[in-house]
Amino acid sequence: MSLLEWRDEFRIGIAEVDHEHQVLIGLINDLHAALGADRSGENIEEFLGEIFARISAHFALEEKDMQARHYPDFGPHKADHEHLLDDIRDIMDEHIERGILDDAAFADRLATWFAAHFKTRDARLHTYLQTRR
Amino acid sequence: MRLLKSGLRALFLRLEQVCEKFFGPALNPWVHLGSLGWFLFWIVTVTGIYVYVFFDTGVTQAYASLEYLSREQWYLGGIMRSLHRYASDAMVVIVMLHLLREFAMDRMRGNRWFPWVTGVPLLWFLYACGITGYWLVWDRLAQYVAIATTEWLDSIGIFAEPIARNFLDSSHLAGRFFTLMTYIHIAVPLIMLLFMWVHIQRHAHARVNPPRTLGLAVLGTLVALALVVPAMSQAPADLDRAPFEVGFDWFYLTVYPLLDIVSGRTLWVALVGGSVFLTLLPWLPPLRKAPPAVVHLDNCNGCGRCFADCPFGAITMVGRTDGAEFDQEARVDADMCMSCGICVGACPTATPFRRASALLPGIELPADPIAALRDRVVAATAPLQGNDRVVVFRCAHAGNLDTLADPSVAVVPMPCVAMLPPSFIDLVISRKHADGVLLAGCAEEDCFERLGNRWIDERIANQRDPHLRDRVDRERVAVSWASPVQQHRTREALAQFRQHLRAVASTVHPGRTGVAWRARLSQLAAPLRVVGAAAVLGAVALLIGWFATQPAYAYLHHDQALLKLSFSHAAQPLKPCRHYTPRELAQLPFNQRRATTCERGRWPVYLQLDLDGRTIHRATHQPAGLWDDGPSTVYASFRVPAGQHRLDVRLRDSGRATGFDYASSTTVSLTPGQNFVIDFRGAEGGFQFGRAPAHGPATHEVPP
Repeated sequence: MSLLEWRDEFRIGIAEVDHEHQVLIGLINDLHAALGADRSGENIEEFLGEIFARISAHFALEEKDMQARHYPDFGPHKADHEHLLDDIRDIMDEHIERGILDDAAFADRLATWFAAHFKTRDARLHTYLQTRR
Repeated sequence: MRLLKSGLRALFLRLEQVCEKFFGPALNPWVHLGSLGWFLFWIVTVTGIYVYVFFDTGVTQAYASLEYLSREQWYLGGIMRSLHRYASDAMVVIVMLHLLREFAMDRMRGNRWFPWVTGVPLLWFLYACGITGYWLVWDRLAQYVAIATTEWLDSIGIFAEPIARNFLDSSHLAGRFFTLMTYIHIAVPLIMLLFMWVHIQRHAHARVNPPRTLGLAVLGTLVALALVVPAMSQAPADLDRAPFEVGFDWFYLTVYPLLDIVSGRTLWVALVGGSVFLTLLPWLPPLRKAPPAVVHLDNCNGCGRCFADCPFGAITMVGRTDGAEFDQEARVDADMCMSCGICVGACPTATPFRRASALLPGIELPADPIAALRDRVVAATAPLQGNDRVVVFRCAHAGNLDTLADPSVAVVPMPCVAMLPPSFIDLVISRKHADGVLLAGCAEEDCFERLGNRWIDERIANQRDPHLRDRVDRERVAVSWASPVQQHRTREALAQFRQHLRAVASTVHPGRTGVAWRARLSQLAAPLRVVGAAAVLGAVALLIGWFATQPAYAYLHHDQALLKLSFSHAAQPLKPCRHYTPRELAQLPFNQRRATTCERGRWPVYLQLDLDGRTIHRATHQPAGLWDDGPSTVYASFRVPAGQHRLDVRLRDSGRATGFDYASSTTVSLTPGQNFVIDFRGAEGGFQFGRAPAHGPATHEVPP
């Protein structure tokens, strides 16, 4: 079972951002699959770290693109990004402190965030980019 | 060279430390020399425009218009004029200190050659501005500057007619020359501005404005100087009299007195040679540095953060080359990269939380991989004990802090602390590798890599991405900015920080953003600082005010007169002109037929001048022109004792082997300071002695 699934309605209209959204979802799923049976703590920790790094880099790119397009809603959108990164960092710390990772819960949190983010923030960005053309 | 450099560096660091006590680290003038140079340039520009409004470009009007400014309009025009002069002088001081400091701090080597090399022509422009400026005043100093400069230029030997002949005596001077000088005095600063712009091209976020407080303080000091010691003209120029002594601007005219000792040509060679040597300094010897940063495309999505943070403009964002569906990628220009690693600190994938085996960021230093840094941090912190464990990240230019290490303190060196991605701090604190992180870098506003501590401050304060996450307790993150001679500060900061960590050991401050923790360092009381800063600026201003006119330069002794031998004379043709024969005429095309034909080429002029029977000038003056058919020009100047002299002057301008074509003798009585000109006019019978009136201001002028 994959952790996350890409849907076409997630598209926002900046080619590289859309591309990386898909890459990211693929990567998260791949990493999760590779984790497989080896549930050693270290492995999970690195899996989370990798996701954290990739999402950070992705947000950096998306934020650059938004600023380059003078997106007026940049502030709240970025705040939402930071919120997810904080969330992931919390999960990472929880895992270190308690030594557990609830796969389902993690997937759920990511999926929920992505779904909500796509529906609200990214949809608004999408609309802005449409009207700007 | 190395000795000179380290000696200078020690001197600068001490001086800066003293000034810092008064000005504080952020306003220390020493770290703002470059931007102060810009600031002074603008002062000179604005005041120059004002003075130009009232300036008349005429031989007598020029002087009079400036006298009006200084005397009638002293409250504004006079101040403007004084500011124009003193800000220009201050600019020489600032520029020289700037040059010496960048040299001493070794900030011009290797890939940092560009501002250094483009700065060398700036020096020439700066001096050209100053020298042409003094010329325009047309007082005794201007007269000296005009004559010395033109004689010096003539020594190059590229001008057919010596320019100095324009200033031979009052009858030679034309108002047109002032118009020309005015244009030069306006054009040169404009070209200089262009070069100043080029000068900073390779610096990202170049500082061209000093902090407002410092700028206002400098302006205020200059205004005070203008009121206390207003810039005035000296006595009006009189080309028929040579000045004995002139008040001398030692900032711009520094090399002029050397012309009394060495020939003009020698001085040119020395200055041009010196400039070439200066230009080569960045490679003497070549800088050995770590290899430049490299981009790992698999980990780069083109987010541009390294591009935004590189202090040297070494990174450009270019179109994707690996086929990945991103728009851009970072590219490092190896010829501009200083291997400081600040780009690594900006890269979002340079986070130590990643899989250690594959910790390859989008950009990194091959000599300092981020994976190795992670291992170093983990290894160095492992043995630490106590509840005040600190890991000190120190930059390569902060001096050796390794002695700080003890059972509770680990020191991790790196090229520049801004190479540390903020997530490393998160890692150290959240994984409890240490109780606190101390970042020790160069003095404030004076990062060796230009922007390192500025970016760190902004990253920690959440003003710049990548920022330190809010979740990291700022009470556990400290910075210490100190120069190599201020290492006691970092020690003190570390001691205080550990005490602080022990105090906060039991408390948690989640979700607190804000700036890094800083030690409270002892400083002087505020009034004392203001008085001290004012004293420093005042002392510099007084030095500028003094050396702008003092000590006077003695051009002539009080019992000397100036004797000038100068004229332009076309000697006899090598062969006399002859009539065409009828046969020759018939062969010529009809439009080229004329009675006579002359071959080109003239004899040189042989000239000898005896003063009281002793030969003081004997020379052969070659004809000008590519075909040697122009006039021979003579310009010679002698300082002679005042009093009665017998002058014998002889000239040969034909092919005769012995004897002279013209000879003249006279006895003259020279008064001290007299400018006595011996002219020659073949058409008027030969030599003319002292054609110019003996006194009276220069009045001859060509109407515009």
